[in-house]
Amino acid sequence: MSDADTLTQHYLEGTLSDAEAEQLHDLLKAQPELGERLIQQFEMDAMLRATKPLVANNIVRPALLPKRRFTFTTVTSVAAMAACITLLGTWVMNAALKLRPETEETTASVAVLTRGVNLEWESAAITPGTPLSPGWLKLKSGIAQIEFYQGARVLIEGPAELQLVSSSEATCTRGKLSAQVPPQAKGFRINTPKGTIVDLGTEFGLDVSAANAEVHVFKGEVELHQPAATMKSLKEGQAMAFADKQASMTANASSFASLNDLDARSAMSQRVHFEKWLTSSSKLNADAGLRLRFDFQDDEGSRSLLNHAANGGEIADGSIVGASWTTGRWPGKRALEFRNVSDRVRLNVPGETTALTMAVWVRVNGLDRTFNSLFMSEGWGERRVHWQITHAGKVRLGIAGVGSTRHGDYDTAEFFTPERFGRWTHLAVVFDPVAKEARHYANGGLLARLSLKDSSPLKIGTAELGNWSDPRGKGGVAIRHLSGAMDEFALWDRVLNDEEIAALAK
Amino acid sequence: MKKEDKWDLSTDARPLLATMTRHIAMRQWRERTRQQPVVVQKLADHIRLLAEEREAPPRYEDEIGVLRACLQKLPEKSRDLVELYYYEDIATPQIADQINMKKDTVCRALSRVREKLRECIERSMNQGGAAHV
Repeated sequence: MSDADTLTQHYLEGTLSDAEAEQLHDLLKAQPELGERLIQQFEMDAMLRATKPLVANNIVRPALLPKRRFTFTTVTSVAAMAACITLLGTWVMNAALKLRPETEETTASVAVLTRGVNLEWESAAITPGTPLSPGWLKLKSGIAQIEFYQGARVLIEGPAELQLVSSSEATCTRGKLSAQVPPQAKGFRINTPKGTIVDLGTEFGLDVSAANAEVHVFKGEVELHQPAATMKSLKEGQAMAFADKQASMTANASSFASLNDLDARSAMSQRVHFEKWLTSSSKLNADAGLRLRFDFQDDEGSRSLLNHAANGGEIADGSIVGASWTTGRWPGKRALEFRNVSDRVRLNVPGETTALTMAVWVRVNGLDRTFNSLFMSEGWGERRVHWQITHAGKVRLGIAGVGSTRHGDYDTAEFFTPERFGRWTHLAVVFDPVAKEARHYANGGLLARLSLKDSSPLKIGTAELGNWSDPRGKGGVAIRHLSGAMDEFALWDRVLNDEEIAALAK
Repeated sequence: MKKEDKWDLSTDARPLLATMTRHIAMRQWRERTRQQPVVVQKLADHIRLLAEEREAPPRYEDEIGVLRACLQKLPEKSRDLVELYYYEDIATPQIADQINMKKDTVCRALSRVREKLRECIERSMNQGGAAHV
């Protein structure tokens, strides 16, 4: 009789005899905790093999014994080794290859939309916090504040067309804008169809229409370059019309006044959004299919989240562990910040549900873990539900199998790229047993539509927002806490359609 | 022989990795397992289910980063054992002959080394993990 360690080694090495295979199988059945240890041994074995290409060249000791080639053929000649390599090796090797620095992520963005009031876009709609890559911004109405990475801040009022060229250059073909250019952004250029303005560290206004173009200098100095004219230097208080011929004027701050009260208008706009949300909340709470809704507006210092769903009597309030209160989407909107391994909201969803929709407003700060929890059933028992974000930024709905039925992972394409970190995002997921589909949504739009392997009812049970716990874990539980914040979460036992989800994300 | 059978994992894992998705790997594994004795098939199935229950890989990326540091911390004898078995591909019976130990002792020692490395990685990860390159 061999001990478990020796049997494990024989398994890994592919020298396990039939009798030993039987013995190890019996041991595994008799001692479930041995399974975890065995898997850990396999992982370590796979990792050591994965590091071989990284360290093998550094070994200088001469081989004392003839080398035995480690080929795929020898691996696959043994089921045990094949299981080890195929199940774990692929992931490990991929991970090992990712260690190389040339895989470092990059961004093409040159500026960021920092604030907006009543924004309506002709081009693709963007919201404050969005990093901007070179290209056209076409604003129908409203005021947008854009901060260029080199430091210049531009306020633009719709209707306007602005092309971002680089972190220190833009082209304006239509609209009214004002620019603040701190010394470190000196040299910031704005091109117009009639000429180019080069800023020497200042504040100026620019008004471009089909018939006219005017530049007004409020502080400092700008240069006006035109193809058929000598360069003009304009100082504080000066202005110039430069459409067809140049005409000097006095700078007129009042014609850019609408851009100056952005603070007040922005605060008002946020207040309006907040009020609208508050009004829509009561209607949402009354939905018969809504079983759970946390609005995160509980009293400051509260350690529980009230379930506001009118029909959610059997789901008790959520219990806050660790997570701290912070500001949500608007001033006055509260949110919970998850940043620590202990941070979570614990709750219990009893019984079974045939259909499921979940929606959350979340601000993801980073994806530090292999899995980053949104809403996770405890453990991984039959038909439990795991809604999480992978390290690569894919949103995943995982549903555990029953008995020998395999679990299902329903992933979106990579969605949470670093450009999306730190911004409020609306996510929703639908488990639709009639269409036999899992559907993912982001900011109201459909992200992915995936066929369900098994559409039998789900059992959520004890669950957590922003974290995962696993009572089975003997040697510690995998760390899957979210790094980010949530300010609204809802769960329905019915399927919400595309329109309903789009409305939630408004 | 299929193309992937010819690749040598120790020197060139990339073509294999590029081609083998997890599903292909699983399918190949099942096909090959069928040719094994029934007892080994049953054991391998049991282990596959255990692995699948864990959903997916643990945090390998960072872990491999700290693995190398942990290898350095091992006692010399343990490190030699890792080098002989993992990096020089010498089978345990031959290692036993070479270092004058019983075969089973070598097997147990390798298990213990893997356990120690795992603990070291856990400790390092809890202290903040590997620095990013």
